Amino acid sequence: MSGDEATTPSAKPKASATATDSPLKMQTAVDSLSSIVPSLSKLTPASLLTSPDLYSKISALLRQPNSGAGDNNLCRWLYDTFQSGVVDLQLLVLRFLPVIAGVYLSRVADRKPQAGFEAVLLALYAYETTSRAGKPVSITIPDLSQPSVYHEATAKTPGKGPANSAATDPEIAVVSPALEPHGTVRSTRRARIVGVALELFYAKIGHMPVSSKTDFCEFCKVWAGQDGEMYKNFEEGEMCKKLEDGGAKEEEEGVVEKKNRVEGRVPLSWELLQPVMRILGHCLLGPNNNKHVELCNKANEACRSLFSRSMHDVNPKAILPMRSLLRLSKTVMPNHPDPTELPFSDVISL
Amino acid sequence: MESTEHGSVSVREFHANGSRMVASEVEAKLDQGNIQEAEDSLKEGLSLNFEEARALLGKLEYQRGNVEGALRVFDGIDLQAAIQRLQSSFSEKTPVKKGRAPTESVSVSQHAASLVLEAIYLKAKSLQKLGKFTEAANNCKHILDAVEKIFYLGITDIQVDNKLQEIVSHAVELLPELWKQAGCYDEAISAYRRALLSKWNLDNDYCARIQKSFVIILLYSGVEASPPSLAVQVEGSYVPKNNLEEAILLLMILLRKFSLGKMKWDPSVMEHLTFALSICTQTSILAKQLEELMPGVYHRIDCWNSLALCYSGAGQNECALSLLRKSLHKHERPNDLTSLLLAARICSEDSHFAAEGVNYALRAVNNAHDQKEHLKGVALRMLGLCLGKQAKVSSSDSERSHLQSKALESLVAAIKLEPNNCDLIFELAVHYAQHRNLSAALRSARHFFNQTGGSVLKAWRLLALILSAQQRFSEAEVVIDAALDQTARWEQGPLLRLKAKLKISQSRPMDAIETYRYLLALVQAQKKSFGSFQISSKVLDDKINEFDIWHGLANLYGSLSHWKDAEICLQKGRELKKYSAALMHTQGVLFEGRGQYEDALLATINGVLIEPNHVPCKILMGSMIQKIGPKYLAAARSSMSDAIRIEPTNRMAWHYLGLLNKKDGRISDAADCFQAASMLEESDPIESFSSIL
Repeated sequence: MSGDEATTPSAKPKASATATDSPLKMQTAVDSLSSIVPSLSKLTPASLLTSPDLYSKISALLRQPNSGAGDNNLCRWLYDTFQSGVVDLQLLVLRFLPVIAGVYLSRVADRKPQAGFEAVLLALYAYETTSRAGKPVSITIPDLSQPSVYHEATAKTPGKGPANSAATDPEIAVVSPALEPHGTVRSTRRARIVGVALELFYAKIGHMPVSSKTDFCEFCKVWAGQDGEMYKNFEEGEMCKKLEDGGAKEEEEGVVEKKNRVEGRVPLSWELLQPVMRILGHCLLGPNNNKHVELCNKANEACRSLFSRSMHDVNPKAILPMRSLLRLSKTVMPNHPDPTELPFSDVISL
Repeated sequence: MESTEHGSVSVREFHANGSRMVASEVEAKLDQGNIQEAEDSLKEGLSLNFEEARALLGKLEYQRGNVEGALRVFDGIDLQAAIQRLQSSFSEKTPVKKGRAPTESVSVSQHAASLVLEAIYLKAKSLQKLGKFTEAANNCKHILDAVEKIFYLGITDIQVDNKLQEIVSHAVELLPELWKQAGCYDEAISAYRRALLSKWNLDNDYCARIQKSFVIILLYSGVEASPPSLAVQVEGSYVPKNNLEEAILLLMILLRKFSLGKMKWDPSVMEHLTFALSICTQTSILAKQLEELMPGVYHRIDCWNSLALCYSGAGQNECALSLLRKSLHKHERPNDLTSLLLAARICSEDSHFAAEGVNYALRAVNNAHDQKEHLKGVALRMLGLCLGKQAKVSSSDSERSHLQSKALESLVAAIKLEPNNCDLIFELAVHYAQHRNLSAALRSARHFFNQTGGSVLKAWRLLALILSAQQRFSEAEVVIDAALDQTARWEQGPLLRLKAKLKISQSRPMDAIETYRYLLALVQAQKKSFGSFQISSKVLDDKINEFDIWHGLANLYGSLSHWKDAEICLQKGRELKKYSAALMHTQGVLFEGRGQYEDALLATINGVLIEPNHVPCKILMGSMIQKIGPKYLAAARSSMSDAIRIEPTNRMAWHYLGLLNKKDGRISDAADCFQAASMLEESDPIESFSSIL
């Protein structure tokens, strides 16, 4: 697979300085993996992180029926490997999160036991819980009336009031609330646990291979459970104008898509939707992503599906960011002149 | 590559030192690979030195699109040495007082500087075009390092000529771009900061472009930047701590620049800001930014609609609705589907706006065609919800039942189009339940439960309520116990309340009291652990309601005739909520139990004054009026009919109306009422179904 190298050369997993026993742990991981997946028996600790087959083979296994059961060896391996504490191995496990989360959530309605998947998800959740140390992730919303490193405060409306602007407290926005430890996946906490695992994925997304992101986008479509092809050329505002142009044709395509729709629509609560949108934002608009055609296409499809879903849910909190992503994804093609090009002229002078 | 190939080649010429020279001859030499010869003919023809000739040649090759050739030419110049010479020549001049500048010598050095820097810049661009991004970035960085050393106090307007400034500005903009293309995002981030925080004398266009592309890296690269270094921090100024803060700050600055006329409008700025602020659920801040935009940037209707989305997203639905009313006015954009759906949705949550919502929803249904056909199911769903809400406030029985059946019709039509829409399945279940179609309700509730895998708390509650309405109390309790098992501690409040009521229904008051005690202990624990601000919004929504507990306990003790305990609980409830119709009702019940009918009547009157449509107060009031004297029978009956009008499924109201009729001698009417009461009793949930919504 061509797209399996990490997207960011600089972000190559650095050799972990965690423990001296990490070579040993790598060896253990390789040994146990090759006993579970015989076709990967040629792996060595050195090739574990770079093997081009690894991702496709393991994710194919994760998609098999009953793959998430409690006695599943692969889940066991993913869990143990993550718990090894070796950074490289943890990043390796994280690559499979989109497939795990995707298959897991889509199977919830089937009421199959998925203790294997849950163990892996809980391990990721616990990792985040520990590293956040009971604190919420929050940001201070900038206030332009205060000077910042990038601007000087200019009293925008002088004489508006007796210096009340300086007295206002900064607005704190909670991006991700504080985490409570969970030992099991309680059904009402499921979305949060998967959401936090996705937040971890997002935090390490620079280390994730393209195929993992592509799978993520694919599952976004499944979760949305909504075909978004009608938004391919249109956006709600301008639909009426362009309707005559290609409406009929588009519609036909839409109908075809609808028939092929995969089951797997899941409730998209904010705790799940928020990290999903952040990851999708990266897949759509991340630097150098346009080099990966398949990722680009899948990300665009996912974006349309999720926008469509937000419209079906009439959920303003989702409509706003998804609409912006949709609009931005259409301007992402670099057709404007390169501003760093010096002006060309026929007169060449000093 | 993008050279001016077609036709213009013939007129390309060199200018220097007051003479000119046609380029074609030199080009021919270059094409043969004779750099040296080309250089010589330039030196002679234009009386140039070696470096000047090379620089011109490089420029020519670059413009011709021959970047490899350009690199070969530039490789002949020792740029490093040239830079060092420049630095020393500038540093000799620095002691000279600024202001009264020795213009002559500075301009000569500047000329040399721009010659060298332009050569390096073109070298970097050539490397970029060949895909050698890291090398290009290192070259570009040399330019900035050199400029920084030369103008170590930062560039000001009077110091540099246009040519030099242009190259510096270009290099400042190019460097982060090159790092980005090389995939070195950390380097890119520090290059962006260097561009924005050092004094390069950039003009607004450069600065805005750099800020915009920095924002994109911050928001979407997935690389968390470390905060700007302490060196650039000024006392008292705001320093962004993470990517989101830095991106939002820059976007707000860009918007302000636009308002001040320093920048052309770029719609992407607003879209990035929308994404960033929505991600941290700050759509009210977004609304403020939209409102501060100059009129005319967006069409007023688009602006209203976006604002409505912002306000609704921030929970300010009334504000959103008033904006939508403007945009949906017949002279504006009355058929905009998104706005119609949002308006209908907001209206569906409040019975006072339900009729208005029906109007929007109907328009949405009629406009959901062609490209928007896929939203028809959503429109029908909104219609059903609004009709159902409207039925609640209808003035006549016939209107109510008409609206109810229309509501059901719409919801059923909607589910045919949206068979997988969980919310819709749930709403249908509640609708069936409220109209006591319990088997259909149970079926839908189960469907919802399975679809959401038990992840939604209200699914458990609805299941338990429906089972309790079917008088299957022990099964309902199994559901509640399973739900408790699947819920975190702080969200168990509503479940435990149901559990207590289930115990009461099963005549196990002591168990119920035990459950209430546990609830109270939870409240205490919750108060302790949520002293700080770190309560998640989810927890706040489901926070255990202490008032409910005292109220429930007061009722329970009242029913057991434990007057003293009941009074204590009432007092506790009053401390939390001074004016409460529910407490007045309980007080009335306590008075009634002790035979103080007049006091009971007064309590219910007070209750109705607080909340005119409080059904339990109305019922008790009617019953007390009748107890006080037979001559007030009409008043009692009117109070009871009122209660039935507000809540037609209230079995107690029917029961008391039956009693009144019997007293009045209207035996057959009485029999009808008792029959209604008994039928309703068979399908009475332990808590109103509407408590779920």
